[in-house]
Amino acid sequence: MEPSILAQQAVNGLILGATYGLIAIGYTMVYGIIGMINFAHGEIYMVSAYLTAIFLAVLHFFGITSIPVVLIVVLVATLCITALHGWFVERIAYRPLRDSNRLAPLITAIGLSLILQNYVRLSQGARSQGVPTLLTGSFVIPAGSGVIQITHVQALIIVVAIASMAVLTFIMHRTSLGRACRATEQDRVMASLLGINTDYIISVVFVIGAAMAAIAGVLVSLNYGSFDFHIGFITGIKAFTAAVLGGIGSLPGAMLGGLILGLSESFFSGFVNTDYKDVFAFALLVLVLIFRPSGLLGQPLVTKV
Amino acid sequence: MNKMVQFGGVLISMLRLLSPPPAVAEEGIPIGVAGPFTGAYAAFGEQLWRGAEQAANDINAAGGINGKKIELFKGDDACEPKQALAVANQLVDRHGVRAVIGHFCSSSTIPASEVYAEAGILHITPASTNPMVTERGITTLFRTCGRDDQQGSTGANFIVNTLKANAIAVIHDKDTYGQGLADAMRTQLQRLGKKEVLYEGLTRGEKDFNALVTKFKSVNAEAVYFGGLHNEAGPLVRQMKEQGLKAPLVSGDGIVSEEFVIAAGGPAYAEGVYMTFGRDPRKIKEGQEVVDRLRKSGFEPEGYTLYSYATMQIVAAAIAATRGTDGAALAKWLHTHDVPTVMGSKGWDEKGDLKTSDYVMYRWNNKGSYEEVP
Amino acid sequence: MRRLLLHPLVTAILVLILTAPIAGLVLDGYTFNLHWQPPLGLALTALILHLVINLVRAWRSAQGGAWSVTHGPIPVPSHPALLRTFRILLLLSCLVLPFLLNKYWLTVAILALIYVLLALGLNIVVGLAGMLDLGFVAFYAVGAYGYALGHEYLGLGFWSALPLGAFLAAGFGVVLGFPVLRMHGDYLAIVTLGFGEIIRLVLNNWTEFTGGPNGVRVAFPSLPGLEFSRKAKEGNIAFHEWLGIDYSANHRIMFMYLILFLVVLLIMFLVTRLKKMPLGRSWEALREDEIACRSLGINHVTVKLSAFAMGAMIGGIGGVFFAASQGFVNPTSFTFFESALILAIVVLGGLGSIPGVIIAAIVLTVLPELLRDFSDYRILVFGLAMVGMMIWRPRGLVRARRPVFQGRQG
Repeated sequence: MEPSILAQQAVNGLILGATYGLIAIGYTMVYGIIGMINFAHGEIYMVSAYLTAIFLAVLHFFGITSIPVVLIVVLVATLCITALHGWFVERIAYRPLRDSNRLAPLITAIGLSLILQNYVRLSQGARSQGVPTLLTGSFVIPAGSGVIQITHVQALIIVVAIASMAVLTFIMHRTSLGRACRATEQDRVMASLLGINTDYIISVVFVIGAAMAAIAGVLVSLNYGSFDFHIGFITGIKAFTAAVLGGIGSLPGAMLGGLILGLSESFFSGFVNTDYKDVFAFALLVLVLIFRPSGLLGQPLVTKV
Repeated sequence: MNKMVQFGGVLISMLRLLSPPPAVAEEGIPIGVAGPFTGAYAAFGEQLWRGAEQAANDINAAGGINGKKIELFKGDDACEPKQALAVANQLVDRHGVRAVIGHFCSSSTIPASEVYAEAGILHITPASTNPMVTERGITTLFRTCGRDDQQGSTGANFIVNTLKANAIAVIHDKDTYGQGLADAMRTQLQRLGKKEVLYEGLTRGEKDFNALVTKFKSVNAEAVYFGGLHNEAGPLVRQMKEQGLKAPLVSGDGIVSEEFVIAAGGPAYAEGVYMTFGRDPRKIKEGQEVVDRLRKSGFEPEGYTLYSYATMQIVAAAIAATRGTDGAALAKWLHTHDVPTVMGSKGWDEKGDLKTSDYVMYRWNNKGSYEEVP
Repeated sequence: MRRLLLHPLVTAILVLILTAPIAGLVLDGYTFNLHWQPPLGLALTALILHLVINLVRAWRSAQGGAWSVTHGPIPVPSHPALLRTFRILLLLSCLVLPFLLNKYWLTVAILALIYVLLALGLNIVVGLAGMLDLGFVAFYAVGAYGYALGHEYLGLGFWSALPLGAFLAAGFGVVLGFPVLRMHGDYLAIVTLGFGEIIRLVLNNWTEFTGGPNGVRVAFPSLPGLEFSRKAKEGNIAFHEWLGIDYSANHRIMFMYLILFLVVLLIMFLVTRLKKMPLGRSWEALREDEIACRSLGINHVTVKLSAFAMGAMIGGIGGVFFAASQGFVNPTSFTFFESALILAIVVLGGLGSIPGVIIAAIVLTVLPELLRDFSDYRILVFGLAMVGMMIWRPRGLVRARRPVFQGRQG
């Protein structure tokens, strides 16, 4: 096996996995705090891709071309508006159904993802859209007889993914907000008795999840250059798979699940067969769950009588 | 028992009473235009609609067909076979259309054509190129575009003879159209004494094909053929360039849209991609006036727009000549007559395929448009 | 008063910020066009909507009534004679329906019945046994492809494919059931989702056997010796010639409808009976408290497996009918969205309630067809309806009723 090919496939897998991981965080946090799957999360990611292109176009219109400025402004603006979308999803699909049966919010979330998809399609048209190429050029690393190519955007994805994981871990473990989140996660009733506004905390979790999806949305749009209103679905399912693989409810688990999924897709596609890479990914998931029923890093469920 | 017989008699009389063919509006001739007006391939649906609508307006402005005006009905199949069937039934039963132009995706055209055939309605597709469309013995089905086997062989000849590539990777999008194209390419390559080094399908709707691109490298592909649509072709070619792959991408008429450039991330990435398509209909002299008119209304008649326009002209010509809308009679007339259209004169063989097809190679340039390869 | 007016205003401003970029700045290549009306319109709608909701709430509380009254179940008429007449009327009208509808609406009616079937099947798994299954479409696909491929390779007819499809799907249900029994709630959901996707992908990729994306053509059902085509094959008689009437493609579809209707009735009867039988009761008991059940000696493995297999079997039958009515199957009919739709029907119908599930199935299949004339807004309205109905009735349209034992004295 050519080492450069092997390494290149590993790089491909890591980059894909990092984006899965960023989106998976949204699933895993929401699940952790209210025990529900947020099926609209994939669409939140799709919305953020559109926002990226729109803000890029607006900045271009005002003649702002300095790449670092553009990147930061677009990232911040997309993050804010996407987070607002996350907040709205919680407000409409989850809060009214807080104390009803567990499946009702699942259905509203599916309904909401249809709404978001079609709202975007009706507003922006069904055509696939794109973002202009901001960063060109790549790092070329010689390996064996060939080379490994990592574009600057891909490098950026890795750096930003690591940085945002670090920030998120800091928030969850070192701030009072994070403590409140974890308390609500462990026992919502007890947390509210101790003076935590649990409704507010749940909203915050949705907002954080959406923000992570927004980061992924910006990076992915810059990397692949194009998107349409359908992308939320496939990526959403993959990210959800990643979250479960890593153990739903666990933050490092989401990242780990994403990376494993990305790597396995990349290697299977590269060395076996592209047709069956998704079959392999799902089969892997089923296998992992059979032997570790709560995912790789998940807390085993303890049933109390 | 006696009651049963009576009940049966009542049922039969009800059957007779209640299943007459749908009433036909006397004022106009209803014609259906079906295609993906929503969904990921809506851009192609728009091409079909714009062309047919312009043609209908032009014909109506000139007095209609035998004094009757054309009424258009839109049927959205979103490129899904199940929806295509529902739309076909709706067009036939609720709108009582007398002819249908369309269905873009071959996977939609094939099931829908059965509905039209059963209702005895003329059905012409301007865009479905899969061979299976006309290979099923439906006599009232025609197409105004070429076939994928012709397209595949043009592509294969170009790759082998002009590009002089030996190691060819063939990729498709696991859909009727894309896979049909890839299979046609494979067959012709075999005939030319070559064998593809890779034959795999990617997933529609995905954007990350980096693993596949690296695989091209590992098999040392000298040319990559892609059977599929621009939504996937764009990211694919971009990732090929980003990984520094020198092999050119060759594809079919599924990327004939400016959207391909956007999907690829700009003209810089789209440049150098080859594709097969019929002789550019915008350059045929009969169509100049129509092209100008469409451009004036703010729509660039790219891709299948003029195919759709021509199809409407063909339907109108057949109805005018036979003075009726019976599918079998229209079909019989079309099998025996050539029709002048904006794309030149068209005639059909007994299967409903065009007698002459004219696939040529195009190359995307650095300005985001395509030009014929000399 | 502050709440009444200020909150809607805040909502409107938030909606404006929310929608301004997506609805207001429409991308055109790498540039954009400004459309200021849509976001303003949306914000205004939100303002009015919120205001109306607040007014209604204020009015309700002024009336003194608790505003959650509407959350109760729809009262079911309890007069037994009335109920029976109503049922008989409903049955008769369903039987007469095919003679009154044109072909288009008849195909919609068939689709609605197929969804009733699917929802009845999923209802056993999710509603009664309480296992969240997001890949129910797998069994539907197994049934449909069972018929299509059986016809293609073995020359099976509709009548032999029906039991075959059912058993095949049930077999898949058992095979899937074994590994997932250890899992809880949402892990089960994702595994079933994965399984559904695997089935679809294999159907799509295995071109040599399944025809891949091109799908498989399916024969229409017929009676022994009787065909519903324009000209019958040798040895058979065409239905219209037999009756001495003109050929119409409608006959075939009416025939389909009537068989399907009978099958749905049969399955309904079966499920209602099962609910009252020990097996059905242990499904529900297991849903409520697994540990208690196991300590009382209920074998949770067989009980769960039987629920999975029963549900799968009904899904398989639905698949056979789907294939027969479409005349063509291909993998795009079996996406995750389909599973989600069936689940939505079950949840909306009221988990475990049979009449509720039937109403929801009909609503959710006929609604998109009614909306077909608003082609562009179809799915949007559908999504809005899904969210609206769920918020309006979180426990479903009809609350499931438990079978109650009445003492001898009453």
